Amino acid sequence: MRIVNPGFGIVPAGAEQATEGKVDWLNDPIVLFGNSKPNARELLEGIKAKLAGIRRTDNIDFIAKNSASQGAPPEMINDAAKKYRIALLALGD
Amino acid sequence: MSDSADTEVLEIADLDPEAWQDYAEEQGWSDGLPLVMPTEASVARMVAGARGDNESFPPISPRQVVPTLQSLAANAVMAGARPEYFPSIIAALRGVLNPSYNLHGSMATTHSCAPVVMLNGPIRLALGVNCGTNCFGQGWRANASIGRALQLILRNVGGGVPGVMDRSTQGSPAKYAFCFGENEEESPWAPFHVRRGFDASDSVVTVMSGEAPHNINDHGSTSAEGLMTTFAHTIAQPGANTIYGKGPYLVIVGPEHAATFARDGWGLDKLRDQLWERARVPLKHISAENLATYAATGHHPTGDFLTICRGPEDIHIAMAGGPGKHSAFIPSFGGTAVVSTRVKTPAA
Repeated sequence: MRIVNPGFGIVPAGAEQATEGKVDWLNDPIVLFGNSKPNARELLEGIKAKLAGIRRTDNIDFIAKNSASQGAPPEMINDAAKKYRIALLALGD
Repeated sequence: MSDSADTEVLEIADLDPEAWQDYAEEQGWSDGLPLVMPTEASVARMVAGARGDNESFPPISPRQVVPTLQSLAANAVMAGARPEYFPSIIAALRGVLNPSYNLHGSMATTHSCAPVVMLNGPIRLALGVNCGTNCFGQGWRANASIGRALQLILRNVGGGVPGVMDRSTQGSPAKYAFCFGENEEESPWAPFHVRRGFDASDSVVTVMSGEAPHNINDHGSTSAEGLMTTFAHTIAQPGANTIYGKGPYLVIVGPEHAATFARDGWGLDKLRDQLWERARVPLKHISAENLATYAATGHHPTGDFLTICRGPEDIHIAMAGGPGKHSAFIPSFGGTAVVSTRVKTPAA
């Protein structure tokens, strides 16, 4: 017998990905990007503390979108992309 | 675009009804209740119910795939919907796909939100949508299967599978189906959709990402002022998502409460203004840790209170239900909007 697949969908073509240069994991600036929940901040602080054992931390900064339930504003993402080479995201709840 | 690995029509073994249920469950298509088999013939009848609707759909979050009318109709069939319900199901889907609804956030959150679906206009009566006694409850095929079809679409096409991309801590019975109609015939107010700019003759589906209804019981108050005291303090909850993720909420006033407000000359503007001024959470009801967290993310008190929405415009009031001294408060997810979409009835 034949049925219609209730999970069927068409996958849109993927967005183009930027591949710009090589990342220096020990020296490039990092943004620790949180979702504004307390546990996300705690998680990111723990990551920064761990990173202190292996690389410089004076160019590691925290930012957070102001609503956990909504996407970060495009300008916030663009600003972070201009200023930092590496972004670590935490979605702690 | 490229086709996903899935194919739209599946060849499966001949299955008796019990074996079909097991098969569907194994495929991950079930909400836990039995499903009607989406045969090609039954899906074709459902698609015919939306004849003439050629508007394309954006990808559905969180899976981010574009549905076809057939895959949507398959879910409507499985939910037990009649073909004539399909245009309302599509309108509800278009509503949750509006960017302001924030489908991705509302599907992936730990909050218990579900799509709340309210119908207005002639289609309520044409489909037999319950707008009166027990309108949020069981017993009406249109309410149950329109709400359920939307949920199955979000699960099976959208990928909102509990425990996978649907991360709700406790979920909610509203995640099975939450659909009702406004009781326009007994309401003292203009229908909800007319107040939002539609014609009275339009059929409109309104959606909001919200919780299951919270009852507002008031048998004792016989004045609008008395009722407002109960309404405001029932709505002002420190555990509301919107205490920090500010957003809209719905108040579904029962007909007897609505009649009291109307008799005392309280129109909708006054109701909204009073709720905005009085449905606020006293700071003493909020923990110091939460206050610090809210302040750190820009959510500051208004005087000695925290508001649970951004202003009177976030408070949406409609009338539904039957006899009795009950109304309902439906809190939203927060980062969402109330979206109304006109139902496209089939072209002749």
